[in-house]
Amino acid sequence: MYRIDRRLLEHFDVILMLLIVLICGMALFNLYSASMPSPGYGFAPWMKQSIIMAGCFVLFFVIISFDYKLLHVLNYPFYFFIIASLLLADAIGATAGGAQRWISLGLFNFQPSEPAKLMLVITLASYYARKEVSGGYSFFDILPPLGLMAVPFILILIQPDLGTSLMLIIIFASMTMFVKLRWSAYFILISLGSGAGVFAWFHLLKPYQKKRVETFLNPEHDLANQGYQILQSKIAVGSGGLTGSGYLKGTQGHLHFLPERHTDFAYSVWAEEWGFIGCLIFLLIYFGMLFWGLYVGMTSKDRFGTLLAFGVVTLIFWQAVINLFMIMGFLPVVGIPLPMVSYGGSSLITTMMGLAILMNVRMRRFHPMMGRNN
Amino acid sequence: MKFSLKLPVVKRGQFEERDDASLNILQKRLIGVGVIIVFFLVVILLRFYFLQVTKGDEYKRRAYNNRIRISTVAPPRGHILDRKGREIVTNRPSFNVALVREDSRDIDGTLKKLGPVLGMSEEELWGRVREASGTPLYLPVTLKEDIDWQTLAYLEYNNREFSGVRIEVQPVRVYPYGDLAANVIGYLGSISKKQLEDADRSIYSGGDLIGKRGLERLRESDLRGEKGKRYTEVNARGFEQQMFDGIEPMPGRDLQLTLDVDLQQIAENYMLAGEKSGAVVVLEVNTGRVLAAVSTPTIHIADFVGGISQKNWKALMENEHKPLMNKVVQGTYPPGSVYKMVTALAGLARGVINENTSLFCPGYYRFGNRTYRCWKHSGHGMVNLRQALGQSCDVFFYQVGQWVGVDGLAKYARKLGLGQQTGIEMEYEKSGLVPTKAWKQKVKKRKWQEGETLSVAIGQGFNLMTPLQIASMTATIANGGKLYRPQLVEKVIDPEGKVVEQFTPELKSELKGFDHFFQLIRLGMEEVIEGKRGTARRLHINGMRFAAKTGTAQVVKVAQYRGLRDDEIPYKYRDHGWFTCYAPAENPEISVTVLVEHGLHGGSGAGPVARAVLKHYFAKRLKEGTLSDQE
Repeated sequence: MYRIDRRLLEHFDVILMLLIVLICGMALFNLYSASMPSPGYGFAPWMKQSIIMAGCFVLFFVIISFDYKLLHVLNYPFYFFIIASLLLADAIGATAGGAQRWISLGLFNFQPSEPAKLMLVITLASYYARKEVSGGYSFFDILPPLGLMAVPFILILIQPDLGTSLMLIIIFASMTMFVKLRWSAYFILISLGSGAGVFAWFHLLKPYQKKRVETFLNPEHDLANQGYQILQSKIAVGSGGLTGSGYLKGTQGHLHFLPERHTDFAYSVWAEEWGFIGCLIFLLIYFGMLFWGLYVGMTSKDRFGTLLAFGVVTLIFWQAVINLFMIMGFLPVVGIPLPMVSYGGSSLITTMMGLAILMNVRMRRFHPMMGRNN
Repeated sequence: MKFSLKLPVVKRGQFEERDDASLNILQKRLIGVGVIIVFFLVVILLRFYFLQVTKGDEYKRRAYNNRIRISTVAPPRGHILDRKGREIVTNRPSFNVALVREDSRDIDGTLKKLGPVLGMSEEELWGRVREASGTPLYLPVTLKEDIDWQTLAYLEYNNREFSGVRIEVQPVRVYPYGDLAANVIGYLGSISKKQLEDADRSIYSGGDLIGKRGLERLRESDLRGEKGKRYTEVNARGFEQQMFDGIEPMPGRDLQLTLDVDLQQIAENYMLAGEKSGAVVVLEVNTGRVLAAVSTPTIHIADFVGGISQKNWKALMENEHKPLMNKVVQGTYPPGSVYKMVTALAGLARGVINENTSLFCPGYYRFGNRTYRCWKHSGHGMVNLRQALGQSCDVFFYQVGQWVGVDGLAKYARKLGLGQQTGIEMEYEKSGLVPTKAWKQKVKKRKWQEGETLSVAIGQGFNLMTPLQIASMTATIANGGKLYRPQLVEKVIDPEGKVVEQFTPELKSELKGFDHFFQLIRLGMEEVIEGKRGTARRLHINGMRFAAKTGTAQVVKVAQYRGLRDDEIPYKYRDHGWFTCYAPAENPEISVTVLVEHGLHGGSGAGPVARAVLKHYFAKRLKEGTLSDQE
């Protein structure tokens, strides 16, 4: 029987919760504008997203009621569930005769590559928490996590979704560097990685495949179209000016020059309608949540908690940076969403699960009393 | 409370780390991480400041003026030509009225005004708009296709009245010869949801036309071409301001067929005029090229333009003449006496008969305790192979079949290409059925009855053949044993006139050492036309000898219809009529095969069609008399 430790409630982090609710609210508010219904439009994206978001909050409270240490164990079924889902999506994609990254669940399409990112965070946190090496990890120490990352990496790469699969590498690199590597391991990894890349480029890939790798970066659109999208996004952001054009009044966003205006380019709509001041406020709150996440890591009672907190922050941070860089014209269109802001159920659920883990670590920063939580 | 969670439980001490010093080091590192995050935040904010504040006014101006739109331009589809380059299918521009919802300031008002101009009700127009509700607003919604010149002129002149309304030019199919060869060429239709899901989205998008049937479908990738792009700037009122250079659409590749429009037309008209449903195939015997492939009644392509109505489709499906079927390859029929060539070849090859074999036909043949009748109840008397073929004597072939056995017949039927697909470029080709003992055991779970061999020997029983198989068999007999893959497409030509793909005759197999046997069979077939008692002697053409075989395929063996006049038998129980021939007899060039469904007799129902085709094909030489001086 499970009894709630009173201290769990005392340690519930109101500030973190407030930040999450605030960002979710702004995201929905923005999504309403970005997916302004047209005459005769059926089920609008913002409505769908609201329903999923409500579900996410339920999930949030379910997750924080269990000790995060269970993830040491639950991680394995989670890992195999994700791998099985990825295989299924790949198989469906292969039989459908084209790229398919999702499994249709009727109400919405489940995209297993999204939770795969969180799954990697938990897997690595669990591994590095349990295997502690003084003086930094050697190359052989990180071979098991490298292998654990490689399987979903390849499955996502062949979908094909280079953007998301590179995300896995970024998470792996961030977390591995965080736990500290030996210089020799750095040297081996960098030379192996670049060697494999150069070899693949010159010997394994045929010209048409190289071209495909280039379009991997940008699966939905050709290059001419991509430049157009980036330009239009920059115009949208720039035309917001200092104070913005006002809610629901952004001409650029509502011209719908971007087919993904409520997904990857959702933040351009915010930038246009709220201007630099709106962006400043939003980004301070958004990054405030990330800093708070780091604070959660610093106050955690054990290594696993710190690594989990760091991993979740990393996961959200890199996706946000890549998405914002794309919107501002620093990066090509790579299909990475802005967590919580872009439309998409799989991404939202993954991010909220990550934040629930963060809250979980925060709530259990004390050492439990004997026999109370069992 | 008995409630308990089945989750693994973390025991105290499990996974606990007690090394506080190392935890401290790790947690201190998070400060460094924070510094990195601050760095990125500053970069992002600086960039936003640059775009929105420093350059804000410039972007505002661009946002106001620069509303560039990309629209796709449909490519003209490849033409379909006959062997002489005459256009069977081509394109013309169709002017469509479309609405760009986002550019229209008042959709309701615009549609109200448009209704009377287009002759459509407001409801209909809204229906079109609603159908497109899932698509981005900047994409045009087609309100009406193919408007006439007056409407076009009116809309262009009064374009200020209709904000957000565009005229789009789209190539549409034109069929200069009407429904000619419609069942072979097929038709286009809007891409279905299912097809769209499976399609390459860079090539197809919703509302595109795609080949649904026939060559339009099979050769879709050649015919479709590549879409172009057009960039337009739109002002705040929703009118197109200016057009920028886009990417020109790339027209599809043309298909040149082996068909000859004249022959196709003659055969088709003859069949249609006589209200005959069935098929006609004309082949070049020495190459396998298809000169005509007719299936009647044909579909009416006009019914399919813009999507066929449920009612029309149902009517087509239920029509007992089966207009949707391409009977050339999809219709399978018992071959009737046309099969006697196979029986003859089997008998000759097995050595059970030769040119001197004569058998007596009293008008019936007794086998076991049954009597098998010859079609001529009074009997043919003594007949040799030539006479037996010429007069289509059943009794002769009953005996040959019995001597060879059903598996022997099947062996030679297969050598002549029966019971297998010919491999022509047509959809859903049937392979027909050549029965064997093993087949019956496996499929019918019954032992083969010797009596059934007799039915098979004269082309009844389980035998099923497509008109194309019979045509190909006739050509093989005429050319002395060469089995070609029937060829429908001659070449694929790109928009610059370059031949991308050239097809040449493809020899599938060759029967060697049978020259003499084929010679004997050809003499028998010549007897059909030229002999005094030939079953189709009335079809003789002055100035040219040719060879043929008639066939009547029983549909049902119902005693109640025996002795009735032809027109008293219900249509669906009437016999099928076959006629297959090649010409000229001495130096064969083409073969013509005609099947008339429920046409009663081969000679009278199907023969005249073949004769008309031959007369047209050889018209010039018949007039000059150059064909007969070989006699």
